[in-house]
Amino acid sequence: MTLLWLFAGGAVGAAVTAVMMQRVRRKVRTETDAAEHSASQVFAELSTRTDRLQAALDAMPYGVVVVDRDGRVLVRNQASDDAGADAHNEVLVQAAVQYNLRSAQRGEARSQTVELYGPPRRVIVVHARPLSSDGAMATIEDVTERSRLDAVRTDFVANISHELKTPIGALAVLAETLIDETDPAVISRLADKTVNEAHRVAKIIDDLLELSRIELSGDLIVSECDVASLVLEASSRNSYAARQNQVGVNAGDIAVGLKINADHAQIASALGNLVDNAVKYSEMGGKVTVTAYADQQGVTFVVADTGIGIPLRDLDRIFERFYRVDRARSRGTGGTGLGLSIVRHVASNHGGAVTVESREGEGSTFRLYIPDRLVPQT
Amino acid sequence: MDELRKSFHHDIEDVRTELVHLAAFVTESIPRATAVLLNGDLEGADEIIGGDDEIDARSLDLEDRCVQILALQAPVAGDLRQIVAALKMVAEVERSADLVCNICKAARRIYGHALDPTLRGIITRMGEQAQQLYIAAIESFVENDAAKAAAIDDMDNYLDALQKQFVQAIFESHAAGRIDLQVAVQLAVVARFYERIGDHAVNIGERVRFVVTGWLPEHRGAARFRSRTDDTGEIVRQVVEGSGS
Repeated sequence: MTLLWLFAGGAVGAAVTAVMMQRVRRKVRTETDAAEHSASQVFAELSTRTDRLQAALDAMPYGVVVVDRDGRVLVRNQASDDAGADAHNEVLVQAAVQYNLRSAQRGEARSQTVELYGPPRRVIVVHARPLSSDGAMATIEDVTERSRLDAVRTDFVANISHELKTPIGALAVLAETLIDETDPAVISRLADKTVNEAHRVAKIIDDLLELSRIELSGDLIVSECDVASLVLEASSRNSYAARQNQVGVNAGDIAVGLKINADHAQIASALGNLVDNAVKYSEMGGKVTVTAYADQQGVTFVVADTGIGIPLRDLDRIFERFYRVDRARSRGTGGTGLGLSIVRHVASNHGGAVTVESREGEGSTFRLYIPDRLVPQT
Repeated sequence: MDELRKSFHHDIEDVRTELVHLAAFVTESIPRATAVLLNGDLEGADEIIGGDDEIDARSLDLEDRCVQILALQAPVAGDLRQIVAALKMVAEVERSADLVCNICKAARRIYGHALDPTLRGIITRMGEQAQQLYIAAIESFVENDAAKAAAIDDMDNYLDALQKQFVQAIFESHAAGRIDLQVAVQLAVVARFYERIGDHAVNIGERVRFVVTGWLPEHRGAARFRSRTDDTGEIVRQVVEGSGS
């Protein structure tokens, strides 16, 4: 009996143990599953976060490189890889990054400006600073546009005062000389010069007014313009100056019936300025061609000359107000330094652009692109 | 042994990286020198001429490293070609940097003299073309691209043509009294500097072809010469029987 009880007790005990073991196993399994689940969740979350951080770094406009104490790269974003357009520029930028990072690894922040002559010319600033958690980071920033704007700002004041003060100074001197002059021949010569200088100031003021009108007027008077007649008008309006310099101005073949919705007066003014420049900077016997062609987006007017061309260093600055390639020559050509600025504003008012290709001694080609998306006013 | 090999290949990679860096430096200084020349930028000229010391020092260091690798690692086959080619290429790059300095020195000598737009235009073109040759040389070296390296020679023909065109333009400008004789001579020398820079880029390209294929264009001439010599190295003279007078 006792044996039976013992047996029964043992069996019950074993059953209880089995049930308990099963419970424990189930619990352990559940907990392991939960742990695995939460670990994979944490892992997924971490990798999402890392991806997000990397994506955010990649979206940044400047390059970032993070290195550990031994100089091994831990993080770098996309912009840090395409800091230089050409292979050799890239090498120079990366060398500057390495050089500055080495100094930052030693605990000393450092920055360096790398000027790349390109073309296109670019200015890159590399900053490197030590990190609190060992290692260092470098940022690579393209400041080309910023340094160009700086130059524009400083030069603008110098240029406008030069352009305005020169004729006014000349007027004052001429008037002073006239006061004491008695010889009629000299008086007549001085008076002629005075008139010329006065015209010069008037022309500058006219151009300034036109520029500010074009700059300020957001409202274009849009009408359907005939492209061929715009080109013809531009090529014939400068015929006197062209004859004087023996420069031939030709209008190219334009597709019959080509129309563009634009502000007629502004386009005419822009084209006139371009042709005016082309004639002015052509040598005796040069050739100027004005033409236009259409593509799906709009119309491009082309003014090409075989003149003296524009030096490379001035090419991206000629559309600035009062910017002069050669100040010594500017008085001889009689321009105001505002023509191309007007052209640029006309282009931007129409949502288009003006570009230039030029080679010294071979000539320049200006392209004024006007998109066909304006609606004529009725 | 593996570690040794690893460090050896690391050394070769270092030599290549430094060589690319030096060549990139020269590539960048070509448009700088052109700007110095065209804008009469004396300060810029001083900067480039002063910077040449660094190129000289780094070229010497690089040469030393190549010699060290040759002496200590005794490389063979492709590795040997890499190091021998690098030794030759350092000299080309270093000489090109000197030529860039020479352009700047010429800019100092013609300071204050105005140049015709035609002359300025061709100078710009020569500078651009010399730089393009150098860019192609670097790319072919980095990518071990023998085909691109071979193309540099053709690109150089255009630079040579520009040099001829430039000399013609100098004559015309001088004849018209727009530049004096001293400036004309300096400009002719400048054209020669650009042309030489192009030649050095071509030489670099040839070395790249040598690394990849083991062949140099000079082998063609050498083979011609050998075909004219006998076993002792004497040139075999063709005896032409004359009919006598």
